[in-house]
This record gives sequence, structure tokens and C-alpha cells, in this order.
Amino acid sequence: MLRTIFNRLLGMIVVMALVVTIVFVIVRVTPGDPAAVMLGPDATAADVAALRSRLGLDQPMVVQFGRYVLGVVQGDFGQSIFLNQPVTTALAQRAEPTFFLTVFSLLIATVIALPVGILSAYKRGSTFDQVATTLAMFAASVPSFWLGLLFIQFFAVKLGWFDTSGYGGPGASFLERLNHLVLPALALGLVSSALITRFARASMLDVLNDDYVRTARSKGMSEWRVVLKHALKNALIPILTVIGLTAALLISGAVVTETVFSLPGVGSLVVSAVLRRDYPVIQGALLVIAGLYVLVNFAIDMLYLAIDPRVRA
Amino acid sequence: MRRLLSVAALLAAMTLPAVQGAWAEPVKGGVIDVATVGEPPTLDPMASTADLVGIVTQHIFETLYTFGKDWSITPLLAADLPGISGDGLTYTIPLRTGIKFHDGSDMDSADVVASLQRWEKVATRGKQAAEVISSIEAVDASTIKIVLKKPYAPLVSLLAFNNAAAIIIPSENAGEDPLTKFIGTGPYLLKDRKPDQFIQLARFDGYKSREGEPNVYGGARKQYLDEIRFVPVPDPNTRVEGAVAGQFAYADALPVEAYDKISGGKTKPVILKPFGWPVFVMNTKEGLNSDIRIRKAVQAALAPNDMLTAAFGSTDFFTIDGSMYPEGFAWHNKVGTDAYKSDGDTETAATLLKEAGYDGSKPLRILTSRQYEFHYKMAQVAQAYLEQAGFKVQLDVVEWATLTKNRQDPKLWDIYITHSPFLPEPSLNGFMSDTTPGWWATDAKHKVVEAFNAESDPAKRAKLYEDVQKVIYEEAPIYKVGDFNALAAQAPNLQGMTPSPWPFFWNAYLEK
Repeated sequence: MLRTIFNRLLGMIVVMALVVTIVFVIVRVTPGDPAAVMLGPDATAADVAALRSRLGLDQPMVVQFGRYVLGVVQGDFGQSIFLNQPVTTALAQRAEPTFFLTVFSLLIATVIALPVGILSAYKRGSTFDQVATTLAMFAASVPSFWLGLLFIQFFAVKLGWFDTSGYGGPGASFLERLNHLVLPALALGLVSSALITRFARASMLDVLNDDYVRTARSKGMSEWRVVLKHALKNALIPILTVIGLTAALLISGAVVTETVFSLPGVGSLVVSAVLRRDYPVIQGALLVIAGLYVLVNFAIDMLYLAIDPRVRA
Repeated sequence: MRRLLSVAALLAAMTLPAVQGAWAEPVKGGVIDVATVGEPPTLDPMASTADLVGIVTQHIFETLYTFGKDWSITPLLAADLPGISGDGLTYTIPLRTGIKFHDGSDMDSADVVASLQRWEKVATRGKQAAEVISSIEAVDASTIKIVLKKPYAPLVSLLAFNNAAAIIIPSENAGEDPLTKFIGTGPYLLKDRKPDQFIQLARFDGYKSREGEPNVYGGARKQYLDEIRFVPVPDPNTRVEGAVAGQFAYADALPVEAYDKISGGKTKPVILKPFGWPVFVMNTKEGLNSDIRIRKAVQAALAPNDMLTAAFGSTDFFTIDGSMYPEGFAWHNKVGTDAYKSDGDTETAATLLKEAGYDGSKPLRILTSRQYEFHYKMAQVAQAYLEQAGFKVQLDVVEWATLTKNRQDPKLWDIYITHSPFLPEPSLNGFMSDTTPGWWATDAKHKVVEAFNAESDPAKRAKLYEDVQKVIYEEAPIYKVGDFNALAAQAPNLQGMTPSPWPFFWNAYLEK
């Protein structure tokens, strides 16, 4: 078991090293120039070149990469070109909305998907199953930003229950800030629930026909006990996997949703950094997101180890 | 027509309280949220020519001069207009006294000299001015002197403009690049900034306003509002929804097609007419458009009527106008505009192409972006008209950051599309410089531009600008498509605003 954990950790380091390299190269070969964006439309080529030099962007790519890697291993992701602050500070300031948005979305998705998926499987072919499957397919095909715009239209503009965008002004309390997450979390959560519902249904269907379930029934156990205790326990591994992956997907899915709702989270930070070519922020943010993916997968692997004795063997 | 009437009524309503203000001073207080197109790339107005930077920072920092009614130059931190020596080489500028910076220190000539020297080094427009400035020095604590190498009339306009701006900051901060201490003399000071969330400005209690009445950007600057919060809302649809829901006191730069939707909402639409001009910049340095005959063919082929209709939909939002400046500006004239054909002249364009020996093997590359959807729509219509005239056209649609980079390289494009507000001084326009992308530098240009820049008498300058416009049409370094209007939204209880391309909120107040 220790060996498995060690191998996984080693794999994580290799993946992160690859991410650092690939992101650095992609960001540098993408057309566009932070200096030109910062100086504005009337800047001359000489102005742009001077600013590039001041930012160190005129150095050979290998030199820039060396400096960057040296910084990263020391926990220094560099300085944002536009925000005038360290990338780590910029990311830390934006972690709150993204974290809570992801948590709430995942909660909404799980709370909807698990019971619906289990019930659909249990009542396979029923009207409930058909309606649930159709709705899940619909939700899976709807982009979260479109749903977000609909919610803004209805809940914010028409009913006036929420602000259309933002994360509260100066001095907004924690609860006021969370209030701004309701609509985006609903939009992201509903879309994500579709995938989990379908996995939960499929996984439950697999186990509901297994011998041990039939045996449990023949012993005279109540149906809810058979389904929730025996069947669900075994169906949970693939469901956990998909919930974990959904959590990771939500972090990246939040990129567009945060932009639509003007939430100052990591997602919108990435979008604005890409649009203005704030290289250190793009690199730092993608590194953190990739790190979260890797950590989530590691956590899932560890859960497997805990839940499934076959994996431990 | 209904629309224009409603806007006229609104504008009248907006003007009225300003007049009434002379009778009953509005009550101080209130906080407003202003939705902007995004987070400004910097809060140092010297470091960028982006409009958004100017919009936000003009509340924090001030310049020696600014623009009043009809874009006339009016003093701001200067006590008066400059005294200009007979040879046009020495500008003596008296400074106001008793002006405090946001850190409590007093402004004097040492701060002004240090700031202007920083402007020469850091700002695009400062570098432009530096080419003709011989020295900047303090005469006494409240007077400075700028000595030029040759007469240069646009100097005071450059000192007045709010982007790449000649702001005055404490001398001890003038060595900073990038600027980290945002200490100005403006009516509002920077209280807090959370990037991508808000920029919070609070009333500066030590502010010393000019006496008299407000005069657009100049004159008295009243600080009625307690706070102004600039809230970045990059998605235009979300900005519109926020305006409809009444979430913002003012929402800037809205898509014109949202006019009807906003009209039915809690804030009212405001049309700024005219706002600016879309322009096709020609690459005169390399490629197809280095041949003046090809450029003239492009000029003849384009049909602004259809291009503007595709871009803005209704004539409520655009005007077919070949003059470089619309009516109302001192620079407006019709000289040379015969070459501007509202529906294009395909036949002439085809003839010109033939004369130029163009065989259609090399594509005319139009560099554009969908950052501004109207650029892309104009490009599509332009492509159709150019192809009709015999051009082979290649549309290079990239995102804005790529466009700003690629346009610096003359090998990559023949035309790029951009737009600009009508700048108060023609010399501020990018194409007037030899070094901005487009690289228009001919003897004919230099002759007329130098004469224009050397003349300081406003009436004579307006006349000389006719020559500049004539050469622009003769050599076609750019193609002005027309005039377009901008749409914003304003809360009904926000009063005292003056519609302007760079909206400002001193003098604005909330009606109870």
C-alpha cells in the first residue's frame, strides 16, 4: 500500500513538471503581447519594445523558463504584469469565490443526482425514469453560461431576487458575498448533476441485478435496506470517481460561469489574464488548477484504497 | 425618430439640473456603482493610452490643463493658459497654489517638473512631446517654463489629454515606473481596489476646486458623491442585464442593439452622439497597400452605408460622414471628401486596380477582431465590396491581444480595423505620427502636418487642417468609415452628468 502511495506521488511530480513546461511554452508561442495590451492602442513599436525589455520578455525563452522554474520550486510564481501584485496573492484573493462556487455546485449536483439516479435505476423503465433520463440529457447538453444568462434574466432582472453580477462591494459581509454565488452555483450544479445522475443510474443498474442483491432480497430484507445498504455501497466507487472528476471539471467550468456573472474568482482571473496575456498569472493559475486536478485524482485513488480491498491487494 | 426624441428629452433632463444647481445646491452624499468594460490594465494614466484607464484615473489624478465646452483648452492645475513667447518656443505656465495631494502634501513647481519629466519618459504622448521639448524647469514655486526646439501648437492639448496623461504627482513618486503609489490631486482618492471586483474611490476632503461653474472636464469640480465604485463587468450581456435590473447607476459601453431592452428597464439609455469613428488603417510601409494606387482602389471600393448598417443596424447609431471631424468640432470641413462614396464606386476601384497592375494573385489581408463585433461586421461587408472590385481578400480574424501585437509587424497585414473617439486635437490621432502602425510618412504629409503643428492661432489652425484632410484623402493612409454613436445607461436619479466619451462623476449627484 505504501508503495502504491509512493508511486502515485511520484507520478504527480512528473505530471506537474510536464504541466509547467507545456503551459510555459504554449503561453509564449501564442500570438499577442502583454506590453502592447498595457500600452494601449496608440503606442508605438518602440514603446512596446521598451516595455517588453523592462518586463524581461525580450530575453531568450530558455532564460525566461529557467528563471520561472527556479521561482516555482521556491513557491514564487512571479509578479502579475497588470495587477501589480505577486501571482500567489492574486490567486489567494480569488480563491474564495471559486472554492465556494465549486463546493456549492457540487453539493447541488450531488443532492439532485444521487437520489434521482438511484430511483431511476430502481424504477427502470417507469415514467419517473424516462422523465429523469430526458431531463439529464437536456441538462448535459446545455452550456452552464447559457443557463446562467437565463437565471440572470429571470431571477435577477425579472424577480429582482439577486444581483445580476459581481461579488459584493467594499465591506460586503461573508453572507452577502455568498448570496452572489446562488445563481452561478445553480447554473453549474444543474449542468453537472446530469453527468452524475447518469453514472449513478448506470452503476446502480449494474449492481441491482447482481446475485448478492437477489440473495439479500430472498433473506427478506426491506427494499430500502437492500438498495441503500447493499447495492449503493458497491455502486458507490464509480459514482465517487465521477463526483471527484466533476469537482475538478467544475473548477475549469467555472471559468466561463465566473465571467458571465463577473465573479472575481480564479476562472475569471484566467480569462482576463489570457485576454491581456498576463503570462505569470496564466502560468500560475493553470499550474494551480492542474495541481488541484492531480490532488483530486490522488484523493480518489486513496478513497479507492480505503473502500475497495481489491485495489489494496 | 422616436428614439432620438427620447434621447433628446433625456439629455435635456440631464442638463436641466445642472442649471438648477445654480439655484439650489444638490445635497452631498451617496455611493454609485459604475459598470465598466473590464479591469483597467494599470492605474497609472501615464503608462497607457487605453480609454478605460483614463475614465477611472481622471477622478484621482489631474493635469495642468483639460478640455471645456467645445473641446476648448481650459486650465485645471495651471492657474491660467500658458504665456507663449513671440517665437512660439517658450511656454510659461502659472500654477495654482494651495493644491494638496491625497497624502496631504502641497503641490509646487518641483512636483510639476518631476511629473512632466516622468511623462516624457513613460507616456506614449509624453515621448511624442519630448521630441520637441528642449527643457522643463521651475521658474519659482508656482511657475514652470517649457522650452521647445521648434513651435509645436499641440503641446497644450497633449498636456490636457486624459490618457497617456501628463498627470501631476508628488515629486518623490515621479521616479517610480511602474507607479505603485496612486497619489494625485483629484476630487476622489483611491480608497481600495480589488482587481476584477471593484475600484473604490472616496471623496478627497482636501480637494480645492476651481471657482465658478463646471465647464465639462474643466471649471468647478463638485464632490457631491461620497464614493464612486467602478465595477468591471466584461461580458456585455451581463452589463446590459445589470443596467436593466437597475444594479448600476451608470453602465458604460453597451451594445447598441440593446437600446430597446434598456429602455424598458430601470435605467435609461444615453446615446453619446457622435462618439467616434471606425477606421481602416492601411499599411503604407509594406505589402499591397504600400502602392498608393491600391489604397485609392480600396478607398473607392468601400461602401460605408452598407458597412455601417451592418455594424450598427440603425441610422440612430451612425452617420455617413467623410469629414475627419463631425459638425460641432472646430476641425470639421469637407475638403477632399469627394473621394468618400457612401455606396462605393466599384467601377473606379476596378479601373484603379487595373492601372496598378493588380492580378488578384496576392490577397489583401484585413486584420480584425471580434472583440468589437462592429469591426468584424464591417470587415465582412468590406470584403464583399472589395471582391466585387476585383480584390482577392483574406480576412484574418484574431482576438484583440493578437491584433495589438500583429499590427506592429508590417509584414502581417494590409489593413487593420480599429476605432477611436473624436480626439479634441487632431495631432493626437495615431496616424498623424510616422511611427504608429500604418507608418504613413510622406513629404506631402510632413509639409501639411508641420505647418499645422507650428501654427498656434486656432482659426488659422482650423484652416490648415483642411490641407491635412485633403492629403489624407489624396494619399489614403486610412479610411474613415463614418461616425458612430455610443450607448450607455444611467439611473434616473443620477443627475449632473455631462455626456462625454470618457464619463466622469464629479459634479454628479443622486437625487433624493
